[in-house]
Amino acid sequence: MRKYIAKRLAQVVVILFFILTVLFVLFRLAPGDPVSRMVDPEMTPEDAQHLIEQLGLDEPIWKQYLIYLKNFASGEFGYSIHYGEPVARVIWDKLPNTILLFTTAVLLSAMVGISWGKIAAWKKGKGADIGMTIAALVTHTLFLPWLALLLVWVFAYQLDWFPITGMVSEEVFLDPDAGFWAKAVDVGYHMVLPLATLFLIHFGSYLLVMRSSMLETLKEDYIVLARAKGLSDRAIRNKHAAPNAWLPVVTSVGLSLAFSINGGALTETVFSWPGIGRELVFAVSQNDYPLAQASFLLIATVVLFSNVVVDVLYAFLDPRIRY
Amino acid sequence: MSVQQATLQSLKAGRRALWRQRLAENWRVFRGNLLGKIGLSLLVMFGLMAGLSYIPPLIDPMYHPMTGVDPLVVKSTGPSLTHWLGTDFMGRDILSQLLAGARVAFMVGVSAAFMSVVLGTAVGMTAGYLGKTTDTLLMRLADMIMVLPTLLVVLMLAALFGQLSIWMIVLMIALFRWPGVSRVIRAQTLSLKQRPFIDAARVAGASHTRIIFRHIMPNVLPLAFLYMTFRVTSAIVIEAGLAFLGFGDPGTVSWGMMLQWVWKTGHMFTAPYWLLPPGICISLITLSFYMLGRAMDEVLDPRLRDETQAG
Amino acid sequence: MAKCFKRNMMVRGLALAAMVTVLLGGLCATPAAAANGMLKIGVLEEPKSLNLWLATDAWSKRVLSLINEPLFIREPKSNELVPWLAAGKPVYDAGKMTYTVKLKKAKWSDGSDFTAADVIFTGQLINKFRMPRHRSKWSFIERVVAVDKHTVRFELKRPKAIFLSRTLTTPIVQKKQWEKIVASAQGAEKPLTVILRHKLTNPIGTGPFVVSKWQKGVFVFMKANPHFFGRGQTISGHKLGPHIKGIIFKVYGTADAAILALRKGAIDFYWNSIQAGYLEQLKDDKDIKLFVSNKSGLYYLGFNLRKEPFDDVALRRAVATLVSKEFIIKRILQGYGEVLHSMIPPGNSFYYNPDVPKYGYGKSMDERMKLAYNILREAGYTWETPPVNANGEVVRGEGIRLPDGSPMKEFTILTPPADYDPHRAMSGQMIQEWLRAAGMPAVSRPMAFGALIQKVKGQHDFDAFILGYGKLSLDPGYLRAFFHSRYNKPRGYNMSGYESAAYDALSNESNNAMDPKLRQEMIFQMQAMLMAAVPYVPLYNPKVIEGVRIDRFTGWVPMLGGVGNIWSLCQIKAK
Repeated sequence: MRKYIAKRLAQVVVILFFILTVLFVLFRLAPGDPVSRMVDPEMTPEDAQHLIEQLGLDEPIWKQYLIYLKNFASGEFGYSIHYGEPVARVIWDKLPNTILLFTTAVLLSAMVGISWGKIAAWKKGKGADIGMTIAALVTHTLFLPWLALLLVWVFAYQLDWFPITGMVSEEVFLDPDAGFWAKAVDVGYHMVLPLATLFLIHFGSYLLVMRSSMLETLKEDYIVLARAKGLSDRAIRNKHAAPNAWLPVVTSVGLSLAFSINGGALTETVFSWPGIGRELVFAVSQNDYPLAQASFLLIATVVLFSNVVVDVLYAFLDPRIRY
Repeated sequence: MSVQQATLQSLKAGRRALWRQRLAENWRVFRGNLLGKIGLSLLVMFGLMAGLSYIPPLIDPMYHPMTGVDPLVVKSTGPSLTHWLGTDFMGRDILSQLLAGARVAFMVGVSAAFMSVVLGTAVGMTAGYLGKTTDTLLMRLADMIMVLPTLLVVLMLAALFGQLSIWMIVLMIALFRWPGVSRVIRAQTLSLKQRPFIDAARVAGASHTRIIFRHIMPNVLPLAFLYMTFRVTSAIVIEAGLAFLGFGDPGTVSWGMMLQWVWKTGHMFTAPYWLLPPGICISLITLSFYMLGRAMDEVLDPRLRDETQAG
Repeated sequence: MAKCFKRNMMVRGLALAAMVTVLLGGLCATPAAAANGMLKIGVLEEPKSLNLWLATDAWSKRVLSLINEPLFIREPKSNELVPWLAAGKPVYDAGKMTYTVKLKKAKWSDGSDFTAADVIFTGQLINKFRMPRHRSKWSFIERVVAVDKHTVRFELKRPKAIFLSRTLTTPIVQKKQWEKIVASAQGAEKPLTVILRHKLTNPIGTGPFVVSKWQKGVFVFMKANPHFFGRGQTISGHKLGPHIKGIIFKVYGTADAAILALRKGAIDFYWNSIQAGYLEQLKDDKDIKLFVSNKSGLYYLGFNLRKEPFDDVALRRAVATLVSKEFIIKRILQGYGEVLHSMIPPGNSFYYNPDVPKYGYGKSMDERMKLAYNILREAGYTWETPPVNANGEVVRGEGIRLPDGSPMKEFTILTPPADYDPHRAMSGQMIQEWLRAAGMPAVSRPMAFGALIQKVKGQHDFDAFILGYGKLSLDPGYLRAFFHSRYNKPRGYNMSGYESAAYDALSNESNNAMDPKLRQEMIFQMQAMLMAAVPYVPLYNPKVIEGVRIDRFTGWVPMLGGVGNIWSLCQIKAK
């Protein structure tokens, strides 16, 4: 087991190095010019060249690559061109916001999706099953940014229940008396709509996977046996069937993570949630190379490691698999 | 005509008949599937929309989805007799744009899906058949690409290399969406490789290419086809997301582009007749391909079929 | 079975309800807009940096314009330069080529005195490190000396017309704050980078406000500066405050959110030009006043004169004739813009030359096509199907051939992407259609901004492009930089590659002309030369539409560029 984990981790490191290099090559090949926005019309070409030199953009390509690797190895990621700050600090400011929104959304939709999927399978063919399956199918295929705009339109504009965008209100954060809880409630209040968007899009896939996996499990001999023993439905469902139906769900969480991250970036953009996804979109359109590279690498790292965790988890959950 | 040739011909004819029979059987099962029926009828509707998209510009140049403007309208107006779904901010007809969007969605979805499935099948078969180092390398590559968020990758490429044309976008989506297909095809190929008829072919002196194309490919194609429907969904959604963020092909009227216009020109809260249709269309077309895919899943997977019939 | 299912659902329902209640609790926690004399301004993005030398984005500049002040600024009504940190008009000594400026007895926000040393220090800093955005305005300054504590003398290497309008409007930084940073940069390998990357959280300024709290990604809170030199003073007929306690810049991220916040009263002012699409909903709101102001902008279609096909002036004139600026303004800008005929916007009335060729202005599309057809036919162009047939009717042209008989190759019009500026991307699309109707193989291609600049400015690898300047300086010095042959090299500002010895000479002369009348004449002549050669087709100058709530504050000051300006913020009062 330990050997397996070590092997997977080594693979991840190799892949990351590969992505890092591809990123570097891509960004150098691209015709963008990060200093174009920093100069004024009457600046002489010589002075513009001076700026390029000062920012280290004229170094030979191999030297830039070494500097680039060094920056990543040191965890500093170089300097953001537009913020003029170490990229790590820019990202550090935004990362908690993304984690807060994203993990809450994934956990909530997984919890709801899995428990409803269990019920749907149990009541297969009945009204509850059909209703839930249709709801899951429909919400799962909704176009995310449109759903987000729609929620804003209905709940923030027409009904005026929630703020349109943003993460906190300045009244609360400028109020010296506001304690931690007041601030937390304020953030939670701003998070309702983005969270609802992500939840609606995601719970369906968990529900559908859990439902079909559960249906498979219910046909297994040991369930038949349990029934024959006269155990209660509830006990069979929750104690015997569900734990085994978990496995495919775990895999699907890992595989759909990339999809969820796309959705996360779109959600952050529509709701102006100050997170990594929005920062990446912004950095990319501003040609802020170091920032875009680091944000992307961060996302790739998270996805890769989560997949390792999922695989290991799978091995733990399924006694049949031995490494 | 030699005896051998005759046998070969009758064999071919027999195979064709078998195919036909299998197809008829599948169609019967498919027809019994509610999801499949809904999905298919929705798709027919979108197909009709795409077909109809050629008509409005013929009626009057002002119905051209991209360049036609109503000379009497200089701002976004609600539905009327001349513009059934209203006009956008420049006085262009929203219905014509919506119809053109259906055409683009099919084009993007089907071509991207087709390319990624071809690529995925090729890689999957090669990896599965050749095994060893080739297999490891290809599959590690697939693992890597599979976990990357495609939308963000294409977004980054679009921003780096200037705005991408719609065909470049299609190509990019195809290049990043093949690994899922190749994994499944590889597994299928691995199991096929153990079957006696492959060994027989090899003993008879068939080349690798021949074995791959004549013996393995026909057996993995149905599976590949199934995967195509799912890839169509993801391709349409990625293109729409890209266009929505402002990185689509501005020369193309896609539904994502329409949403971007309504969002960026500030009509989101004032023009529901403009905000709702493109979103509904994207969601519905995704849903229909998804339903179709699930239905085909059941048709092609006998295990699931038994279950459907039993339940 | 059914019972336990229900119970399960009930427990879950309760849990969900509890969660929703907690979240909804926020509703009550958000008090109504605090009526404590705070002005709330909505912005789209947060400032990228408070380091004046690094900040290039519009949002940082908004905040910094209230902190770091220049010696002279423009007065709203007359648009003339008036003393700001300076105490009076500069005194010119033509013989010695020096300007002497007396300074106000102002204080920095930390309470220390503002003196000549600060001005000298700023100049030295710019020249020593070649500050990207300021260097061109200071490179001709020999040195700056302190005559006394509150008087500075600028010694010029050569006469320069932009001295008054550009050099003297450079924001001044505090020597005390920057001295240490400069010292640390001196020994460094890349000194400019050290300065640019210095993280400044509390810039000390002389302006009306100072940054008090910055919640990343959410808001910037600025307090009124008690040491502001204009407090209670009357400068150029304006009685200054500030009469408000502070400003909160709220970051909204999308225009929708900001406009809605404006309508709901969550902000008093949205400091950005509003898209015409929003006007319907704002017009009827009696608490909101819309200001439509001119700006000094130049949006244009540029050609690459270095290669086929646009090395031919006849083709450039024909294209200029085919481009309907009226259509672009009426449809794409929704009427909020003015037609440009020259490289200088009409708003700059002193330097604007109204008598330049107007290429089909006011004509219908068919008339334009006939005009363009004639220009091209006379220059020797031929068609497979000419756009004007034998009966003189306009038809769809096809297969244009150059005067030498070869078919015109496909050319590309590069525009910024739609997410950056939908107007320019769409204008490109329309221009493409108009040119195609004349049989020209035009392709409009939006491109990421950085990539576009690199292609056009860095590599000169393009056919045509649409770009624009939103905040053109009122001084016409840019005419020289845009079209002088000296700047026709990679990274130079002469992007179209226009070269004319006569123009070079004239623009050099105008650059050094210190007599405004004489300079005006030369600038007129330069505009006439440019519009005859059409290296650029000027398209439009968009108007700025801004929305302000009038139920809490009054006293906004409209000026060129909009009501979002330092005069407004120094003068508005709570109702």
